[in-house]
Amino acid sequence: MAQCGGDLLSRRLHQETVEGLCQGLLDLDDDKLGAMCSAFGYLQEWPDLSAMCGTNLGAPGVAAPDAGNGNDDSSCSGGLRKRKPEACLDAKSDHGDSCKRQRGKQQSSDLGEVAGKGKQERTKVGTKKKAEVASPADGQKTDYIHVRARRGQATDSHSLAERVRRERISERMRYLQELVPGCSKVTGKAGMLDEIINYVQSLQKQVEFLSMKIAAYNPVVSFDIVEDLFGRQLKQACNPAPSTAMALPTGQLEPSCLQMSTIPQGHLPVCSSGFGLEMVLNSPYLPATGGQMPPAAGGSNASCINVNGAAVWDIAPQNLFSGFDAQFQPVESDCLLENLKMEM
Amino acid sequence: MSSRRSSRGNISDEEINELISKLQALLPASSRRRGSGQASTTKLLKETCSYIKSLHREVDDLSDRLSDLMSTMDHNSPGAEIIRSILRS
Repeated sequence: MAQCGGDLLSRRLHQETVEGLCQGLLDLDDDKLGAMCSAFGYLQEWPDLSAMCGTNLGAPGVAAPDAGNGNDDSSCSGGLRKRKPEACLDAKSDHGDSCKRQRGKQQSSDLGEVAGKGKQERTKVGTKKKAEVASPADGQKTDYIHVRARRGQATDSHSLAERVRRERISERMRYLQELVPGCSKVTGKAGMLDEIINYVQSLQKQVEFLSMKIAAYNPVVSFDIVEDLFGRQLKQACNPAPSTAMALPTGQLEPSCLQMSTIPQGHLPVCSSGFGLEMVLNSPYLPATGGQMPPAAGGSNASCINVNGAAVWDIAPQNLFSGFDAQFQPVESDCLLENLKMEM
Repeated sequence: MSSRRSSRGNISDEEINELISKLQALLPASSRRRGSGQASTTKLLKETCSYIKSLHREVDDLSDRLSDLMSTMDHNSPGAEIIRSILRS
């Protein structure tokens, strides 16, 4: 019983500490705000408290967010006064007295001492009390207290909201600072924004560049679709090739690529032609003009072209052209042409 | 408040606003619905965060695709040669 009473007492004391802190917030002057701030910072250092809050919150604890709720002084102090009798109701009278005494002492004493006392108590009390302590630190409303305690400035709701908004902005900025490399060295909002803009631009360029690379690769792949136009003939023609893997997209581009790369050896006057396709179309006549196929071309691909030679590519041009015009973007064909010229 | 900031940071609000709108123009979605400057700054920064993340993802994805394409090519094949020359350009 004695232990229970002691527990109750310490609990009361603790509640009162919180109350005192809340009350003190309202009639503080600037130099005491530092102490308040440290106290609240301490409250928020209990990560598990907010979780316990929901389950362990007793009736007295409910009033605590009320206290934090007040944006103007009248409502806050009103909440506190309403709460006090309720808190003392179930306590023994001497405990109630000690409550009052304790509170009066706190209000008159230096707030740094109060904060220290609060910490001391917090280490003593059980989890339930901790949960109650944490309740003002939990939730949206305490943002106001937190911000107000730190800045020690205007307390009207507008500037409080403004401060919260600014908090969020700087939080975002800090987050962006982590995201953007080299941004942490830059000080000042403008420099950071500059850095962020540059970074976003460079990322956009990088994405553009990479997709251009892939698109430059793709026209070769899009031979698939061209081949679909006369796929059967080509397949029949290329049938003897054992390892060209015609079913695979990468395998499919091999014949066409090969034809392009054999052009230099073919001594064909295609350099003046503005379109890569024409080179491709010309290349089938390579074997016919004298069979200057390089031996490095490999057996299967060479045979493929040899087979292609007259039969397939003679009927191809119209199909190819109609297919190609649809397939090639200007950039892609330009790129292809450029590279072909490079190879030559 | 703003005067204090400008004296401290040595930059005017107009410059900040200019940068903010510049950033806004870079973002794909937010450029359409131009909010009331300062009020949407939080949202803008949030969008910038997610946009940078999506760009990161896109770059990763594209380079994965490119390296996949490269790895599926036979290194000696003329096709790979062409791809390599494309990448060099």
